[in-house]
Amino acid sequence: MENQKFYYDNKIVKLFILATLVWGVVGILVGILAAAQLAFPVFNFGLEYTTFGRVRPLHTNAIIFAFVGNAIFAGVYYSMQKLLKTRMFSDTLSKIHFWGWQTIIVLAAVTLLAGITTSKEYAELEWPIDIMITIIWVIFGWNMIGTLIVRRVQHIYAAIWWYLATFLGVAILHVVNSFELPISLFKSYSIYAGAQDAVVQWWYGHNAVAFFLTTPFLGLMYYYLPKAANRPIYSYKLSIIHFWSLIFLYMWAGPHHLLYQALPEWAQALGVTFSIMLIAPSWGGMINGLLTLRGAWDKVRDSAALKFLVVGVTAYGMSTFEGPMMSLKTVNQITHFTDWTIAHVHIAGMGWNGGLVFGMLYWLVPKLFKSKLFSEKLANIHFWMSTLAILLYAIPLYWAAVTQWLMWQEYTPEGFLAYPNFLETLTQIVPMYMVRVVAGFLFLGGFLIMVFNLAKTMKAGSFINNEASEAPALVLAGKRNPVTETVHRWMERKAVRFSILTFVALAIGGAVEIIPMIFIKSNVPTLESVTPYTPLELEGRDIYVAEGCYVCHSQMVRPFRWETDRYGEYSKIGEFVYDYPFQWGSRRTGPDLARAGVIGGPMYKNAAWHYNHFMDPQKMNEESIMPNYAWLAVKNVDVTMTPKKIRAMQTLGVPYEEGYDQKAVADLMAQAQTISDDLKASGIELAPEKQMIALIAYLHKLGRDIMSENAAVTEEHGETAEQQQAHEITLLDTPEDLEAGKKLYQANCVVCHGPEGKGIPPAFPSLVDDEWIKGNKPADVYHSIAEGNVAKGMIPYKNMLSEKQITQLASYVLITLHEQNQEK
Amino acid sequence: MSEEKIKHTEQDDHITDHDYDGIKELDNPPPRWIMLLFYITIGWAIIYGAYYFWLKEGDHQDAEYARKSEKHDQKYQIASLSADDLVAFTDEASLAEGKQIYTDMACMACHGLNGEGNAIGPNLTDKFWIHGCDIQSVFNVIKNGVPAKGMTAFKGQISDEKIQKVASYILSMKDSNPANAKDPQGVECNN
Repeated sequence: MENQKFYYDNKIVKLFILATLVWGVVGILVGILAAAQLAFPVFNFGLEYTTFGRVRPLHTNAIIFAFVGNAIFAGVYYSMQKLLKTRMFSDTLSKIHFWGWQTIIVLAAVTLLAGITTSKEYAELEWPIDIMITIIWVIFGWNMIGTLIVRRVQHIYAAIWWYLATFLGVAILHVVNSFELPISLFKSYSIYAGAQDAVVQWWYGHNAVAFFLTTPFLGLMYYYLPKAANRPIYSYKLSIIHFWSLIFLYMWAGPHHLLYQALPEWAQALGVTFSIMLIAPSWGGMINGLLTLRGAWDKVRDSAALKFLVVGVTAYGMSTFEGPMMSLKTVNQITHFTDWTIAHVHIAGMGWNGGLVFGMLYWLVPKLFKSKLFSEKLANIHFWMSTLAILLYAIPLYWAAVTQWLMWQEYTPEGFLAYPNFLETLTQIVPMYMVRVVAGFLFLGGFLIMVFNLAKTMKAGSFINNEASEAPALVLAGKRNPVTETVHRWMERKAVRFSILTFVALAIGGAVEIIPMIFIKSNVPTLESVTPYTPLELEGRDIYVAEGCYVCHSQMVRPFRWETDRYGEYSKIGEFVYDYPFQWGSRRTGPDLARAGVIGGPMYKNAAWHYNHFMDPQKMNEESIMPNYAWLAVKNVDVTMTPKKIRAMQTLGVPYEEGYDQKAVADLMAQAQTISDDLKASGIELAPEKQMIALIAYLHKLGRDIMSENAAVTEEHGETAEQQQAHEITLLDTPEDLEAGKKLYQANCVVCHGPEGKGIPPAFPSLVDDEWIKGNKPADVYHSIAEGNVAKGMIPYKNMLSEKQITQLASYVLITLHEQNQEK
Repeated sequence: MSEEKIKHTEQDDHITDHDYDGIKELDNPPPRWIMLLFYITIGWAIIYGAYYFWLKEGDHQDAEYARKSEKHDQKYQIASLSADDLVAFTDEASLAEGKQIYTDMACMACHGLNGEGNAIGPNLTDKFWIHGCDIQSVFNVIKNGVPAKGMTAFKGQISDEKIQKVASYILSMKDSNPANAKDPQGVECNN
C-alpha cells in the first residue's frame, strides 16, 4: 500500500509546554503565598484582593486548570498525533483551544482576586467564564474526535480511551454543576440549593479529581512510560478491565465528601461503598505501569524522567488507597475538616500529577528539540528536591490533622471540652504551617531548576514546527470475525461507538445520585421553622460568598457529641433549602459557623464583637490567623441589585410574597438600622448601608431557625409529654400563691411582657389575648417558662426558679392577669 | 535481568499485532491478587449495604448520635443542680475556690480584678444589679450568659458546682468597696 506523507503539528505542543512552565511557576508561588498566610497572617497584606479566602481558590484553580491543564493538552496533542499517525484534525481548532484556554486562565485570576466567585470548589468561576470553558472544551473534543476520524491506524490505543473519557467526563461534570441563574455579568446563583447543591458540587468536585487529574494522566502514563522505558505494556487485559471499571465506579463516589453531614444515608452509603470498590481499578493502573518497567529498572536508575514517572505512579497508588480509606465513615471523621485532606491532595498533586508532568517533559522536550537533555544531573537534583518537598509538605500536615482532631474531641474528667476555645487547637498546629512554607519553596526551587534545564535544552536543539512522517491510509476493516477478534478489540476500531459506550458508563453514577436528590421530596424533609433570608441577610450571604469565608469556616455541625458540645445542634438536611449555593465548606481553619446566630448558644457573638473582630482579629485574639476585613466597614451594599436578587430567588422557588422585590430595600434598610443602632449603643458608629452590617445580619441568621424547630420537635416527640405527665400541673389559686406569682412576674417578666401582660408585639407576645404560640393549658405555660424559647429571646427559668415558683408564676399569668384583662 | 531473558519473555507473550507508535502490548493476565481484591471489595460493598439498609442492623447517623451521646452522658454525668439545691456558700474554702475560678475563667477581663467593673462589664460589688442579686440570678447569668450584652455563657465550660462557687464568691464581695469602682448600673437590691 502506498504511503501518505503528512506533518505532525509540533508547534501546538511547544506552546502548551511553555504555558505549563509559566503557569506552574505562578500556581506554586500563589500556593506559597497561601501557605504563608496561614502561618503568618500579615501576608494577607490587609487588602481585600489578597486575603486567604481569595488566594486559596486562585491557587487551586491555577494548579489544576492552568498548570496541570496545559500539561495535559501538551501531552495529549503530542501523543494523539503519534498514536493515530496523523496531524491534528484542525490547526484552527488547536489554536483556538490554546489561546482560549489561556484567556480563561487570565480571566479566572482577575475575577477570583476581585471576589467574583460562585464559591463551589474548583468551579468558582462565574457564568460567563463557565460558558467560555464549555466552548473551549467542546473545541478540544471536536478536534480530538476529528483526529480519531482521520486516523491512519486501525485500532485506538489505551491512552486514547483515557483521553476520550477525560473529554466526555469533564464535559458532563462541568455542564451539570454550572447550571446557574445570572443576575448580572458578575453574579449568579446556583440553581440547586442546600443538600442538592452539595451532592451536585461534590459529584463534580470528586470527579474533577477523577477526570481532570486522574484519567488524562493514566492516558499520559500509557504513552510516556512505555516510550521512556522502551518496554511493552504489561497486560492488555488489565488495561481493559481497569479502564471500564474505573470510569464507571468513579462517578458514584462523590458523596464521600459529605459523610456524617446533612445528606440522606443512602447517598452516603453509595459514596462509601463505591470508593472502596475503586481501590482495585485504580491500582490496576499503577500495577500496569510498574510491571511495564519489569526488566528495565536499571534504566530508572539512570533517567530522571523515569524516576519521576515511577514516583508519580507510586504516589498514585498511595493516594488511591488512602482516598478509599478516608471514605470510611470512622476514618472520615478524622480526615474531614482537618488538614489530612490537604496533605492527601498534595501527595496526589505534587507526586502523581507533578511527577508525571516532570517525567513527561524531561523525555518530551529533548525529543521535540532533537537534542539531549542539557543536564541529567540537574534533573536528578530536581527529582530529589521535589520528593523531599512532598514529604516535608505531607508529614507535618498529617501530624497537624491528628493533633487538631484529638484536641477537638478531648474532654476533661468532668465532661467538658478540654479545648473549648477553637483557637487553641489551631495555635497548636501553626508551627506545622511554617514547615509547609519551607516545603513550598523547596518544590518551587526544583521547578525553577527544571525550567532552566529545559530552556537550555531548547536552546541547544533545533525545533521543527511541522515534522514530516508517512503512513499508509487507513482501510477500515469490515465486520467482526467472532473467531479471531474479541468484542473489545472490535470496539477499539469503532471510535464513535467506543465514545458512546464511554458516555453511558460515565452518566449512570451521577444520574442515580442527583436525580432522586432533586426530584424525590422525602430526600429533603421540610422544616417548617426555616424561613427565607431577609434582603439584608441575603446581601450579607453574598458578601460571605465573595470573601471566600467558606474556605476556612464550615457551616456543617456533624452528629458527634464533641461537635454539638462545641457548636450546638447538629445540622439537618431541611435547614438549607434556601441556600443558593450551599456553604458547608470542607476545611475548618476557623470554627464552624452553622450556629453563629443561636442566641445563648456557644457560638453566638454580638454585633459589637463582630465589628471589632472584623476590624482587627488579632486585637481580640493575639494568635488568631484570620485576616482583617476593615474594608467591609467602608464599602456599601449595592442595594440597586437587591430587588433583582429577590426576583432571582423567587424564580428559584424561594417563597417571598408576590411583589416583595419592591419592598425589599425598605426592609433591608430597616433591619440594617437596628444593627447600626445596636452598635451605637456600644459606642460604635457604623452606617446602616455598610457591608459589615449585612454580614453581621447573615451571621446572626445562621442556625436561628433550627433552634425554634427543635423546640417544636421536642414537643411533638414526647419530652414535653413526659414533663406534663411528671408534673400534672394544677394551678395554685390561693391568694398567697397568686401574690407570690405576682412578685415573681414583676421581678422577671415585666421587662418584656409588660406590667399587664400585654407584651410589646411583635417581638414580645401578649399573654392576655387569645393567641398562644405554645398553648395556654397550665402545662403549656409551665413549659414555656421552664424551658424558655431561646431563639426568640425567652430565657429558660428552670434553673432560676423552683418548680413551685414556676407554677405560681403560671397561675398568676393564667388567673390574675387574665381576669384583669377581662374586666377591662 | 539479562538481555537474553528479556527477549525471551517478550517473544513469549507478545500480542503481535499491537503496535502503537512503537508501543507493544503483552498478553499477560491481570495478577490474580488484584482481581481477588476487586471481588472482595465488591463483596464488602454488598455486605455494607445489606447491613445498613436491607437487614437494618447498623445504626444510621441520628441513632448513632443518640446512642453515643447517651453513653457520653453516663460516662460523665454532669450534675445539674436543681434550683432547690442552689444556695450561696459562705464557708471560706468554697469562697477561696470561687475566687480561684474567678481568676481561671478570666472574669477580671470584664469585671476587674476585685469585681470593680470596667468599660465592658458592670461593678459586682455594689448594691445595684442588672439581672438580679440573689444566688439564683447570679448563677443563671454565669451559666447561661447574657449573650446580647457580651456576657459569655459558661455552662459548656465549667460545672454547675463551680458556677455555684464563683457566684457565691461574687456575692461575698458585696460592699467591699474596691478602688476604681464603676458607677452603679441596674436596680438597687436589698437582699
